[in-house]
Amino acid sequence: MTVPISAYLMLSVALLVLGMLGVIRRRNPLLLLLSIELMLNAGNVALIGFSRQWNDPAGQVFALVVMVVAAAEVVIGLGLTVAVFRSRMNLDVDEMSSMKG
Amino acid sequence: MGEQITFAIACIGAVGFGIGVVFFKDAFRAAVSLIGTLLSVALLFIVLLAPFVAALQVIVYAGAIVVMFLFVIAYLGDRPVSPGTDRMDAVQPFAWLALAGVAAFGAITVLASTIGPATTPENSDVGSPASIGHAFLDQHIVAFEVTSLILLIAAVGAVILAKRAVMLEGGR
Repeated sequence: MTVPISAYLMLSVALLVLGMLGVIRRRNPLLLLLSIELMLNAGNVALIGFSRQWNDPAGQVFALVVMVVAAAEVVIGLGLTVAVFRSRMNLDVDEMSSMKG
Repeated sequence: MGEQITFAIACIGAVGFGIGVVFFKDAFRAAVSLIGTLLSVALLFIVLLAPFVAALQVIVYAGAIVVMFLFVIAYLGDRPVSPGTDRMDAVQPFAWLALAGVAAFGAITVLASTIGPATTPENSDVGSPASIGHAFLDQHIVAFEVTSLILLIAAVGAVILAKRAVMLEGGR
């Protein structure tokens, strides 16, 4: 491998930190979910990098599972967002401060 | 050499579009920017001998997930931004501290690690659908079944959420 795995891992760290930054900064629940997707992708980059490093398909299997979890999480997250924010209020997670419907 | 050039392009694309995801004010633009990041990451997967995962990345992520995001963004539309009444202001420094800590920890760990060069030959079939299928069904069958269970739960949950939202508004 001409590009060492540490380069891929550094990219993974950068994407993860970007995603964390988004989760901290954003207040729109949709954009929070987008940032979480960014973090999951950071994990996938590292997993595929390890798979390449040690010639083991387990890393790719793990990445596929992460993708499925991401899809399920987006379905539920978007469903909740639509259910809560459909009729009322601004798109802001801080306004969703009580569990009462 | 080709790998380095591709890696550089994909790296710049992933981080650049990622910055767009985090900093674009417009939700629509942020979602489209995420497509750029996902495609760059798919390019990296191809370089990393994982063409099958790269294809799924494009189909599932850039195809299905981002389209769903765009649907919901279009459905909820533009809402006014509420004034900054952030009750978590007091603990905000700790969040930034945690972020800097994770960044520093990750960078130091990666730079201090002593992983040697890759042990995978260039013509390895580690990323072929056959190899991944064997790994899934021979060694990771539990993960495979749990995956299907997660998808089922998500589908049922989404239907229940939608049904409840409709009923709350007086529909059937």
